[in-house]
Formats: sequence, structure tokens, C-alpha cells
Amino acid sequence: MLLRRNVIVMLMSIEIMLNAVNLTFVAFAHYRGDISGNILVFFVMTVAAAEAGVGLALAVAIFKRFKDVNIKLFEQLKG
Amino acid sequence: MMDMPSFLFYIMTFVILAAASSVVLLRNPIHSALALAITMITLGFMYFGLEAYFIAGVQLIVYAGAVMVMFVMVLMLFDLKKEVGQVTKGTIGALMKVLCGMALSGIITWAIRYSSISTELKKPLQNPAEQMAGVKILAVQLFTKYVFAFELLGALLLIIAVGVVAVARSRGGTHARD
Repeated sequence: MLLRRNVIVMLMSIEIMLNAVNLTFVAFAHYRGDISGNILVFFVMTVAAAEAGVGLALAVAIFKRFKDVNIKLFEQLKG
Repeated sequence: MMDMPSFLFYIMTFVILAAASSVVLLRNPIHSALALAITMITLGFMYFGLEAYFIAGVQLIVYAGAVMVMFVMVLMLFDLKKEVGQVTKGTIGALMKVLCGMALSGIITWAIRYSSISTELKKPLQNPAEQMAGVKILAVQLFTKYVFAFELLGALLLIIAVGVVAVARSRGGTHARD
């Protein structure tokens, strides 16, 4: 339990982590009255969305090759 | 333009935590995607309550509107009947994972609680017109102090667009049989 073998669920977990960082930045920006927290959230959101796109493109290519997205099939970095 | 009442904060926190843990714990990836969409939307509401109005809008448009649609589209391409329930089993591994999660939460809480953040109250913004112009304040900072990072972000997005097409295309174009 508590470990997923599906590539898409791993990408979704990465999005959760990036959103957690965003929430931390916005919370501290609100606490200190400083706008710089929101600026960095802007950048982190852009990079996270772009990286989700790249990850999903890789997942599509993996599915075309292996007909499955279980990470056990390519965790040896072979093939 | 006022502070968020506490009961709203607690309700949103409960929804976010429940949805985010469901992403990992549910067995069907489509259910995980739905839980992730709920997380993103409720986070948008939380940003609205934290007076970051532009960031709340961007969160709803970009994350809940574009990233989640991409995830669901890619999930639709896969054959999911084999995927459901592919998790690892074992008690010692599960115990280690729970302990690591608790240790991480403890370290973060300790770092925030015992750091030297000054406890003076922030200066409230002077007039409502200035508060409404949150986008203007953000834009002024973005284009003067952080303009280099902003331009780099544009270049990064261009590179990523080219890279995504290069990785995911089929040989022969759209009418080829692959």
C-alpha cells in the first residue's frame, strides 16, 4: 500500500507537491505583507504546468512502446 | 477584501487534505484525477481567502482548467483495466513510508515554529483602490525587479512546446498508421 506503480499517478503526486509549495509561498506573502511570494508562485505555476506537459508526453511515448504504464517495466532504464 | 473567517479556513483545509490523500490512496487513476481536480479548485479558493486574487485566478485557469484536462486526456488513451489496483504490498514498507511522512511533517512544523520570523503585524494596505489593484502591484514587480526571470520563462515555454511535440509525435505525421 501507499506506493503507486502508475506513471500518471506519480505525475499527479508531483503536481500536489508543487501546489503545496505554492500554498506556502502565498501564505507567507500574506503573513508578511510582501508581494514577492506571489511573484515566485507565478513562476512555479508556469514551470509546473510545463513540466506536467512534458511528463505526459513522455507517458504517451512510454505507452506506445510498452503498451502499459507500470513503472516496473522500465525501472531498469533498458530498452 | 477582509480576512478569511476561521471556519472557512478549516473547512477548506479539511477538503484539501482529504482530496490530496485520496489522489494517492484511491485505486482507479480516474478517481485520483478527480480528487486532484477537487484539490486544485479548493486551493484556488484558499488563495482567494489569502488575498492573492490574481494567483487564485491563475490557479483556477491554469491548473484546474489546463493541467487537469491534459491529465484526463492522457488517461483516456490508456487501457485502464490492467492498471486498477497496482500497488505494492507489505507491512514493513508501509510502516517506513508512514514514518517518513510523519518525520517530514515534523521537520517542517519545527522549522516554521522555531524560526525567527518577526511577529509584528503586516501593514494593511491604505486604501481599497490600491488593494483592488493587486494585479498592478504584481505587474510592476514582475516587469522591473524580476524581468530577467520573466523573459527566461518565456524562452523555457517555447523550448517545452517544441520538446513535447518532438517526444509525442508519430512517424509520418497525423495520417500514418503506427
